[in-house]
Amino acid sequence: MMSENKDKDAKTHGVLYIGMDLGTSRTSVSASNGVRETVCSVVGYPKDVVSQKLLKKDVLFGKEALEKRLSLRMYKPLEKGVLKYTGEAKDQEAKANLKAAQDLIGEAIRLAKPRADELVYCVIGAPAEASVKNREAIVEAAKAHVDAVMLCSEPFSVAYGMEMLEDVLVVDIGAGTTDLCRMHGTMPEEADQIMFDVAGDAVDAVLAKRIEQSCPGAQFTIQMVKDLKERWSFVGDAPEKCLVELPVDGKPTQFDLTDQIRAACSILIDPICKGITKLIATFDPEFQARLKNRVLLAGGGSMIRGLDTAIEKAMKERLGGGKVLRIEEPIYGGANGALKIAHDMPADYWEQLR
Amino acid sequence: MGGLKDSMRDAIKQLAFRTSVDRLKKQGVTQVNVLGLDRIAALIEAAVHRSLKSRLVGADREVVADATKAEFLRLLRSNEDLLREKSEVERMRERAEEELDALRRDLAQQQSALKLKLERLDPAAAGRWHGEDGAIAGKVAAIVQALANGGPTSADDVQRRLTELVMDVVSDERRDAEAARQALIDRDVAAMQRRIEKLTGSLSLTEHKLQQLSAQHSLDSGISSIYREVQGLAPGDERAETKKGMMAAILEANLRLQKRGTA
Repeated sequence: MMSENKDKDAKTHGVLYIGMDLGTSRTSVSASNGVRETVCSVVGYPKDVVSQKLLKKDVLFGKEALEKRLSLRMYKPLEKGVLKYTGEAKDQEAKANLKAAQDLIGEAIRLAKPRADELVYCVIGAPAEASVKNREAIVEAAKAHVDAVMLCSEPFSVAYGMEMLEDVLVVDIGAGTTDLCRMHGTMPEEADQIMFDVAGDAVDAVLAKRIEQSCPGAQFTIQMVKDLKERWSFVGDAPEKCLVELPVDGKPTQFDLTDQIRAACSILIDPICKGITKLIATFDPEFQARLKNRVLLAGGGSMIRGLDTAIEKAMKERLGGGKVLRIEEPIYGGANGALKIAHDMPADYWEQLR
Repeated sequence: MGGLKDSMRDAIKQLAFRTSVDRLKKQGVTQVNVLGLDRIAALIEAAVHRSLKSRLVGADREVVADATKAEFLRLLRSNEDLLREKSEVERMRERAEEELDALRRDLAQQQSALKLKLERLDPAAAGRWHGEDGAIAGKVAAIVQALANGGPTSADDVQRRLTELVMDVVSDERRDAEAARQALIDRDVAAMQRRIEKLTGSLSLTEHKLQQLSAQHSLDSGISSIYREVQGLAPGDERAETKKGMMAAILEANLRLQKRGTA
């Protein structure tokens, strides 16, 4: 889109900054024109000419793609926080996932509604441990739509957006991965970051298994389980009974899934606490007390009710105490931070990347 | 008055139908009453005048008589026009019928030509097959004759000669079949090329439409950013130095990544 607009003289209207959180489950954008949008990270292509004519589109994204998935070839291009495509993308599946990722990034930028006569500078929050090949692929995909693009670590962008640059520990619970990042006034290094794949998707898998075991005959898909989790998730004391309807032989049947949902969501607590313990234990002893009182929960997983209290309780047992804060906007925390980084980046830095 | 009489006579003549004595005889008419045209015209005129005389007086009678005459002449002229139109339609119908006949004749000729062609083709094909059958039989006979003339011959020799003959015939057939198949493939290829050409045409048309649509989409100008120029760190930011260092580190990492990508 932007290739023909790269002429600097044509970009006289202004500068649009875009912050993007490219996630396994959803991709969010915040822009300096006030646009804030989120789209499920799924891409669908019509299976054949008939469905293409019916849908009147070559590619569908997010919720629309999920609704029409029966006539689409569906791709979830990110897995465990990184692009499924790796290396040389030799096989068809890898190529298709790469294309889906590129189309998804393009769609996310389009959602920000950039003007053709504005410079568009974009910062994308990528998983802290994404491979170089992965990062290159993301940059290439974004470059087709913007004037300049930068990547930064996802938990770092969350902390930057909250202006919490010193002695803070960010726990970003996504769908594919949970990222922990220790901030101490400089750019975090490898030793400051921990990533593991016990995250939203793992919770879904456990919940699906438990429903299968405890609700004989209940029919469901992983998407239904995900929706259930987003509606009812909690740990600790149940705020309400989780009464849900699932079809049994086509008939909607009510099940009480309170215990199953609690058990599935609780799988996050232990690995997060282990990660927090490790990062605090290896931090400068003088600042450990301050760090453990500034644990910041971010990402979609931070919306699980009671998770902050449960982590505090576990920290008390392991570390003698601690304070966990939730960010106000779990969905847009990463994108807002990336937008702030884009804004603060000096003009000559952007010029070097054009 | 004389003009009216003539016109009336002509009109009666046109309205009458012509026939012959023989035709009347065939219809069983042996005697007819003859009334002259002048007499009929005079009778009509007299009847009109008598009728007018009994109902009108003085000048009125003359005016009405003149108007009636004029109307009668107009009716006659209109009748002539109708007749002319009728004859024109009939002429067109005749012409159409002639054309139809010509077409029928052409069709019949074509059909007979086709029939003739088919009749000629069949014996040709039959003759060809018959000729080929004869040639094969001749070759077999020649082999048998040669074997008979050459005295006792081994079974291997007979088998070899017959195999040669069969292979000869079969290879000819194979060649013909191959040529036929090739012709079929060529025809398919030509059809496909035509189809591709057509699709290419459709494609360029679609592309053109797409370009037009894209141009229309570009009319959706997006939403303006709140910034007119590149911002950077606020001068009054308390952590400006820390952030500067972070920005520099991010840039460095990205320069490294993007240079590696372009390399």
